[in-house]
Amino acid sequence: MSSLTYRHNPITRLTHWVNTIALAVLFMSGLMIFNAYPHLHWGSKAEPDEAFFSIYTVNEEGDIRAYTELYGLRVETTGVLGLQNTEMGPAPRAFPSWITIPGFYWLAGGRRWHFFFAWLFVLNGLVYFIYNRANGHVSKFILKPRDTRIVIPMMLYYLRLRKDSPQDGEYNPLQKLAYTSVFFILTPFIIASGLAMSPQLNVAFNWLPAMFGGRQSARSIHFLLTFFFAFFTFGHVLMVVTTGVFNNMRSMISGWYREKSLTVEELQDSRVKYKDDAQPVNAETLQPPKLEALKP
Amino acid sequence: MKTNSSVVSRRKILLGALNGAGILFLSGCEKLFNGLQQNKNFLSVLESAEGLNRRLLRFVTGKNRLAQEFGEREISRYFKQNGNPPPFTIEYMTDAKSGWTSWKLEVAGLVGKPASFTLDELKAMPARTQITRHDCVEGWSAIAKWKGAPLAEIAKKVEPQPNARYVVFYCMDTDDDGNSFYESIDLRDARHPQTILAYEMNDRPLPVEHGAPLRLRVETQLGYKMAKYIRRIEFVADFKKIAQEKGGYWEDRGYEWYAGI
Repeated sequence: MSSLTYRHNPITRLTHWVNTIALAVLFMSGLMIFNAYPHLHWGSKAEPDEAFFSIYTVNEEGDIRAYTELYGLRVETTGVLGLQNTEMGPAPRAFPSWITIPGFYWLAGGRRWHFFFAWLFVLNGLVYFIYNRANGHVSKFILKPRDTRIVIPMMLYYLRLRKDSPQDGEYNPLQKLAYTSVFFILTPFIIASGLAMSPQLNVAFNWLPAMFGGRQSARSIHFLLTFFFAFFTFGHVLMVVTTGVFNNMRSMISGWYREKSLTVEELQDSRVKYKDDAQPVNAETLQPPKLEALKP
Repeated sequence: MKTNSSVVSRRKILLGALNGAGILFLSGCEKLFNGLQQNKNFLSVLESAEGLNRRLLRFVTGKNRLAQEFGEREISRYFKQNGNPPPFTIEYMTDAKSGWTSWKLEVAGLVGKPASFTLDELKAMPARTQITRHDCVEGWSAIAKWKGAPLAEIAKKVEPQPNARYVVFYCMDTDDDGNSFYESIDLRDARHPQTILAYEMNDRPLPVEHGAPLRLRVETQLGYKMAKYIRRIEFVADFKKIAQEKGGYWEDRGYEWYAGI
């Protein structure tokens, strides 16, 4: 027993896939740009001996080895980071070619991709945001002060330390927390830290690199925030996969999502859960509420 | 129960398939991206971002606002020498040995009064000293103190014609294949108060590795625009007939002419 519900409007679906492409290209071309100087610093300038993070190679008596170092903690990463085994032999390269755009060392090319898709990312994000703000969808997933009280109970529910879900509304408080931080913290900060590296903006907006602690700090923060995006994307895709790839994909491509209906036994079981509800429970009233969205 | 177990095994198959597809997808992507990169039409679409960046960033920053200047204590201990090696020609060595007395900066092109300047003449002009941050396209930054003649002063002296749009800097350094270095900026950046022809770095004559006797400082853009070992300046209307006509050595190799980002 199941029924299709209309979940995602066309603008959401279109901008979602444009965003997927834009983020992937930004990530991969960003790693190419990083490869041009695989070291990170704090402050305004880059004194070579003051890098807190470095990927480099060392020639140990003809044997070239790659190391990745974070605050003096050194790990050998030959073949993974710093030195890639290619058909032409080992090539010094911080991030391997299969994860960079272009897939060979070309800083100019990497920059072209990065800046084009940065525009796409921003404009596409604006289209999504303005449209879904206007139709009221955005306010459904913004974390509001009253949601903060049920963040911990929601965690306990998922950890199976609590029996009932405290969810109130279409999105649960953890989803709201994730979306709100990506939308209102991560995205503005990754854009601002990217712009803070621009020498043109340094003219007139001296405060822009300064708010990150200097241009090199802005570069480091831009790089680190990238991995928060990657982490979010990983979680996002993991959930898509574990809650039904085909159904989720269908809803993000065609808009339609198959909602599982409850069996009579489950309905009776839920009656216990919702016993405070004055309304009698029957199959009609417990149909997925989102059916209303079908109405034009 | 029966449906549950079939769902699990289906999920396992699916995950395995996704994993395999992922690896195929990645190697396919690499080929796709590299192919696109070499497609001229696609590349020109990517390059359209340059014009947007130039217009937007210049619009929001205004004309004569200054880049951040630093204190003496923030000057870098290490300033990487990047780009071509210094020009080891007999002419360059002789000029260097003479203390640059035989070197002259020629200024020509679309100007009312073409002129040439000795290093002493440049030093006699009103000078500007600034401690600024040099941002390399590679990602690193270094801070140094620069002293030089504002390019705006030189422009005033030679009187650019109305059709002059760019200033091209011809340099004495060459790459391994013998291609001469050159760069260009437009008159807007040429007239920026911090755009100077520097002859001093950190209170000492400009060292050979940083472009002796004269280098450009244009603080609104990245390091690769800042021509070293300058010999001649030309005011032009466009880049026709100059090397590969893109406006600079690095531009001829794919980098943006507008390096404000």
